[in-house]
Amino acid sequence: MLTSFKKISVPVVAIGLFLLLWQLAANRYPPEQFPTPLNVAAATLELYQSGILLEHVSVSLARFLCAYLLAVAIAIPLGLFLGRFSRCHAAIDPLLQILRPISPIAWFPLAVLWFGIGNAPAVFIIFLAAFYPVLLTTISAVRAVPAVYLKVAGNFGAKPSMIFLRVIVPAAFPNIMVGLHIAVGTAWIHLVAGEMLGAQSGLGFMIVDARNFLRTDQIMAGMLLVGLLGLIIYRGMKQFEIIIGRRWGIAS
Amino acid sequence: MTVGKKTIIQLKGVEKRFYSAHSDQQVALSQLDLELSAGEFVCLVGPSGCGKTTLINLLAGFEKPSSGTVLIDGKTVSAPDPNHIMIFQDYALYPWRTVLGNVLFGLQARGISAADAREKALSAIELVGLQHAVDKHPHELSGGMRQRVSIARALAVEPSVLFMDEPFAALDAFTRIHLQDELLRIWKEKKPTIVFVTHDLDEAITLGQKIVLMAPNPGRVQRIMDIRLPYPRERTDVNFAAFRKELYEEFHLVHRQAAETLEYAI
Repeated sequence: MLTSFKKISVPVVAIGLFLLLWQLAANRYPPEQFPTPLNVAAATLELYQSGILLEHVSVSLARFLCAYLLAVAIAIPLGLFLGRFSRCHAAIDPLLQILRPISPIAWFPLAVLWFGIGNAPAVFIIFLAAFYPVLLTTISAVRAVPAVYLKVAGNFGAKPSMIFLRVIVPAAFPNIMVGLHIAVGTAWIHLVAGEMLGAQSGLGFMIVDARNFLRTDQIMAGMLLVGLLGLIIYRGMKQFEIIIGRRWGIAS
Repeated sequence: MTVGKKTIIQLKGVEKRFYSAHSDQQVALSQLDLELSAGEFVCLVGPSGCGKTTLINLLAGFEKPSSGTVLIDGKTVSAPDPNHIMIFQDYALYPWRTVLGNVLFGLQARGISAADAREKALSAIELVGLQHAVDKHPHELSGGMRQRVSIARALAVEPSVLFMDEPFAALDAFTRIHLQDELLRIWKEKKPTIVFVTHDLDEAITLGQKIVLMAPNPGRVQRIMDIRLPYPRERTDVNFAAFRKELYEEFHLVHRQAAETLEYAI
């Protein structure tokens, strides 16, 4: 009882102190430059009541989900393939190593040129942000499957399709999960960037729009919402990971 | 070769060479001839570097000889065979599968129908005394229990030959003795040919009808000893001690030779 109380109370106190410091610092500046926590809370309420907030949030979540799932749907099969066939991997790896360090944001001009303004460039940027972590962790997960698992499968005369689907895929799965987890983080970070640059809706656009009207309080409200939603998604992912871990008999 | 018994495993002039980083040729096994009878329990013993693991890998088809032939049931071994199952020291169980799931694997690989496979798997699990742990995952089991699962997985497909590569080496002494007794009981019931690699001399005398003593530099068969003791063998028995003495003496000799060659090499 006491421990769970401590578990909650310590972060609450820390957040309280943070808000206090914020309040003290913000008092020294005009609200257009540095709004107080109360200003931001009021702005959030205002955005909520006007209906804009939910609209932007749902658009952002839909884009995120769409781009993330698309990235996963392409990166996992491709990663499984490249991890299994090391010759193909050797051929493609240099190309991957060149493309990977390019920030998804750098793709923005091309994305707009190719896809125009709207959903597509933002989805494309989020897609790129999620794609590489999933692909690379999937490749290394497959390559890290203990050789003895394959030896056993070969010894029992398992066919290649059974070895792939019932040994390699499940053996690699916990490590692939790590990639999925990392990708959620990077994709969510790039969501705002993607929407700031090429979209007319979503949380990123909401922040840019607020800047155009010098609504600093709304900018901060948007930022905090991005953080909060990111936290919720991350936590959800963690729960999913625990369930999978139990199912896989790895985590106790 | 024991008269009246069918030869199952036959090695003719088998040699295995490896190339090291400096492309020096290393002879892991040299000119090996060996015949083992069906249903026999054979232990391979020897100091490290004597090629016993190389030999069992050749027998199981995980490696190919550089020259010579390995025959099982008159057929040349060129790849792993579902009739000849290897049991590894580190169990090699699939952590995402339950005990039942692991034991089912070999049966599924053979394409046996689900109901049949389940029945066979459950009887194999019962044979190793794990019926209470059918739905547990490997991480919930002790080392000894995990090795039982691995044995059950092998037995479920009713192999004619079992290869065991130091299967009990990672277990504590008590568990090891229990599992040795269990293995003998199972062997008597199912009568597979067992080739068992160990570096534990007592284990070899407890289990083997025949002990193949191996020597290093290059890996070769030093001597073949028949252990003519009735099962179950009492580890504290006088006759057991006699074989023990003989084996130890033989190995001191092996050690001395190894040390001499090593000195010579330096």
